[in-house]
Amino acid sequence: MNINMNQEEKKVALEVTGRLDTTTAPELEETINSCIEGTEEMVFDFADLEYISSAGLRVLLAAQKKMNKQGTMIIRNANDVIMEVFEITGFVDILTIE
Amino acid sequence: MDTHCRMIMDEYLENASNYDFLKDKVIELLRDVIDKNGIFITGIEGRVKTADSLSGKLELKGSKYASIDDVTDIVGCRVITFYNDEVDRIAAFVENMFIVDWENSVDKRKMLQQDQFGYMSIHYICQIPEGLYHDPERPELNEIKFEIQIRTALQHVWATIYHDTGYKNDVEVPKEYLRKLSRLAGLIEVADDEFQTTRDEISEYRNHVRSLIKGGQFEDIELNGDSFKGYLELKPFDKLNRNIAAINSAEIQPANLFAYLEVLKQMELKTLADMQSFIKRDYEDAFRLAVHQLSGKDIDIISETLGIQNLCLVKILKDGGRLHGLIRFYDMINGKKPRNAKSAERVLAEAEEIGII
Repeated sequence: MNINMNQEEKKVALEVTGRLDTTTAPELEETINSCIEGTEEMVFDFADLEYISSAGLRVLLAAQKKMNKQGTMIIRNANDVIMEVFEITGFVDILTIE
Repeated sequence: MDTHCRMIMDEYLENASNYDFLKDKVIELLRDVIDKNGIFITGIEGRVKTADSLSGKLELKGSKYASIDDVTDIVGCRVITFYNDEVDRIAAFVENMFIVDWENSVDKRKMLQQDQFGYMSIHYICQIPEGLYHDPERPELNEIKFEIQIRTALQHVWATIYHDTGYKNDVEVPKEYLRKLSRLAGLIEVADDEFQTTRDEISEYRNHVRSLIKGGQFEDIELNGDSFKGYLELKPFDKLNRNIAAINSAEIQPANLFAYLEVLKQMELKTLADMQSFIKRDYEDAFRLAVHQLSGKDIDIISETLGIQNLCLVKILKDGGRLHGLIRFYDMINGKKPRNAKSAERVLAEAEEIGII
């Protein structure tokens, strides 16, 4: 998994590529925690994310809960594989997916 | 301005910092008691009379005041409520909290004759008792009198317009316009009463619905926001969610099920009894769909909305909705997006595979 972070004032854009699973989820969690303080808009670009497991969902869920209190969090460009996971878990009702 | 009035103005200027402090303290005390009692109000405002305004008042009736202490509205606070009965509730707090100068306090509502319509507000002249608040560095705060006004939002709008046009204006307003303002005061009195009555009726309806739900009398209850909220308290989707979660020993993440109300209405579920039948009829297939989707996947977390989501999908398919119906469902849940067609195609294929349709 690779994370490309772009932070400008209160906006953070995170491009996540590869596999977001038990092994890689802690790295994403760490990156989110390092930039979430004071952030009002967090955007994930999942165009090149190939796989997401429960561990990845949990990291997104924690970030969404924090962002609900301080701003917005949006997931963009999720492919069919990732969208299927969001749908069959009901996470489409928890996350904001564009 | 004569010497006497100038002396009062000097006293005012000496006390200026105390007035601001007192205004903020009174607002804080009022806000605290209102919040603690769970009353939702429009707002609390406060002001300190300006030197110009006081000077004007002294020019007009300075001889009435022996000292600045006799001018009881230097500091004024106003509580604006939504409903009439909240005016009375807040008035009761004021009477309990502060030392009330009853001689100078007035309930303007009671001053109107039966055939009069006009200014309606309660005015209290108060002091802060030491038991409520005392600052050894500002002991004067317990001595200074201040005014608290309480009125509804509608009364506030009327009073502000009346004040600007007919009362404190230098130009005398023709009688016909004052009559118009009086007519509006009557209208506002009716509106305030109606708002309160409507609020009480809604509350009564909600209690009634809650008791019907508790008693399991679902046939009589129309499906709407209130009844759905009460119905959700019975956790009607919990069993299905728990069974779905058990597929992969997943945890269930709380989520908002309210977005599904519009979907349920679109599916022509009209009463809570329809809801019950819908859950009963489609329970097994909704579970089978989840088994098909989740088995063998590295997924051990699901949303609380999954049960109702799958129930809706199954109902749409069984009622002949096919692809078009599924796309409409996803449009309602996700907003109109091109990918909704793909989601619908996937679910349709899965449903056909496991023989739901």
